[in-house]
Amino acid sequence: MIGHLTAVWRFRHFLMALVRLDLRLRYRRSVIGVGWSLLNPIAMTAVFTVVFSNLLGSGAWDYAPSLLTGMAVWGFLKEAATAGSRALIANESYIRQSPLPYTLYPLRTVFGQAIHTAIALVVVVGLLMILQQSARPLLMLPAVAPGLALAFLAAWAVATIAAFVNVYFQDTQHLLEVAAQIGFFLTPIIYPRAVLDKQGLYWVVDLNPVNLFLDLIRAPLLTGEPPTAALLGTAAAVTVGLGLLAAGTTAWLQKRVVFHL
Amino acid sequence: MARIELTDASVTFTVRPHKKVTLKEYLVRGLFRGSVNPAVSVHALAGINLSARDGDRVGVIGHNGAGKSTLLKLLAGIYPPTGGARRVDGKICSLFDLSLGFEPEASGWDNITYRAYLQGETPTSLKGKIDGIAEFTELGDFLDLPVRHYSAGMTMRLAFSIATAIEPEVLLVDEVLAVGDLAFQHRAHARMKEMMSSARVMVIVAHDLATIREMCTTVLWMEHGQVRMQGPPDEVIDAYVESVNGPPAPAETETPPALAAA
Repeated sequence: MIGHLTAVWRFRHFLMALVRLDLRLRYRRSVIGVGWSLLNPIAMTAVFTVVFSNLLGSGAWDYAPSLLTGMAVWGFLKEAATAGSRALIANESYIRQSPLPYTLYPLRTVFGQAIHTAIALVVVVGLLMILQQSARPLLMLPAVAPGLALAFLAAWAVATIAAFVNVYFQDTQHLLEVAAQIGFFLTPIIYPRAVLDKQGLYWVVDLNPVNLFLDLIRAPLLTGEPPTAALLGTAAAVTVGLGLLAAGTTAWLQKRVVFHL
Repeated sequence: MARIELTDASVTFTVRPHKKVTLKEYLVRGLFRGSVNPAVSVHALAGINLSARDGDRVGVIGHNGAGKSTLLKLLAGIYPPTGGARRVDGKICSLFDLSLGFEPEASGWDNITYRAYLQGETPTSLKGKIDGIAEFTELGDFLDLPVRHYSAGMTMRLAFSIATAIEPEVLLVDEVLAVGDLAFQHRAHARMKEMMSSARVMVIVAHDLATIREMCTTVLWMEHGQVRMQGPPDEVIDAYVESVNGPPAPAETETPPALAAA
């Protein structure tokens, strides 16, 4: 595993060059560039804010930042899994050309998504600072950083597993899309956790790892309270678990997957 | 020191005659899967032993489908051995499947960078080489265009120029080197010759027996994924030619014993 990671490091220039290319292609050919990618979450936030803020009894100015942050975190993890599942198939031509470590390709996807999400989070922090008339959200960033790092590693692990499975069963990516659709409503993003708890779904929320990362990233930004050590510990344990699963999958399949591409 | 060591190496993989199974199918029809879409095992290479050290030039000959390309991919590390062991020491340069792995949306310049990083260059080491690579392609201003607009010949030129920009210790070549137009071919052949003489170990797959006879120190004759014969070039090539053309000319002029008896 250490050898594998050093190999990833050795090809970092290759990886980063492709990540830069992906971002350039994503934001090119649009008049407002990066703005396009933010338009979707901002438009959704606007619509949901108009519809839900009264329904849920919270003010629009509390609701909008919470929703925007939640969607940024959710979007990152969801895209890492769904787009990440295509990583090996999409990079087949590189795989057939050079023996690079396989986890490099999901990392390409996850890195691109991470930068994309970072832009969204910058907007959220700016918005919060204006709304709260204080620099507190900015000062919370160091407290949020471990959560972001764990989310990144967890996303890489999930993307790696999904990418390997998708080579063998090509409907994996569609199943993941469906699962994500359902998961979106079982995660407290557009409504507070209490709504799901009231339906007796508290156990779903407790078991939902996405919720863990929401608590680690969204809650501190909004409330200004750093995450508890217990929460960080749980998230770290989940991430290590996913990492081991990904490492196991890679070790198990890396010598065979090329024959199935 | 560069070296290649294959010990009883095999490559076996399974393919299915029909398209891939989906997870849904797998779960629903898992029990009957065997009869509907049986997995067929392909022995692409079986029990290959090969050892090459500094200065060795190995030629690989055989019919289409004999496993020659698979052998190159095994040596390059793209296919892992499913049995036995593979060991290759030294910086590898593979000259096959060249036109694979371009980013169609990116410009020629960018693709040079990606490919070079893929071959293990760093931004600093590439800086000194990139102009030389660009010059060798002779693509000029086309390098600013996305590779998607390139013709097949232009893509090959680009690929060849990048691939041959490193000084390899282990050179793996598939003979098919119809690179670009006539003028470029001359330069490509010159560059190949140069690389072949500077590389420490070379493995070349070719149908051009004259080239192999002249250039190689050992020849491997592959048949059905196995080594049929291995040894000095003259010996192996003569045996191969004989097996393809039938026995050599003098034997044909003699009256076959069966006829003579009749």
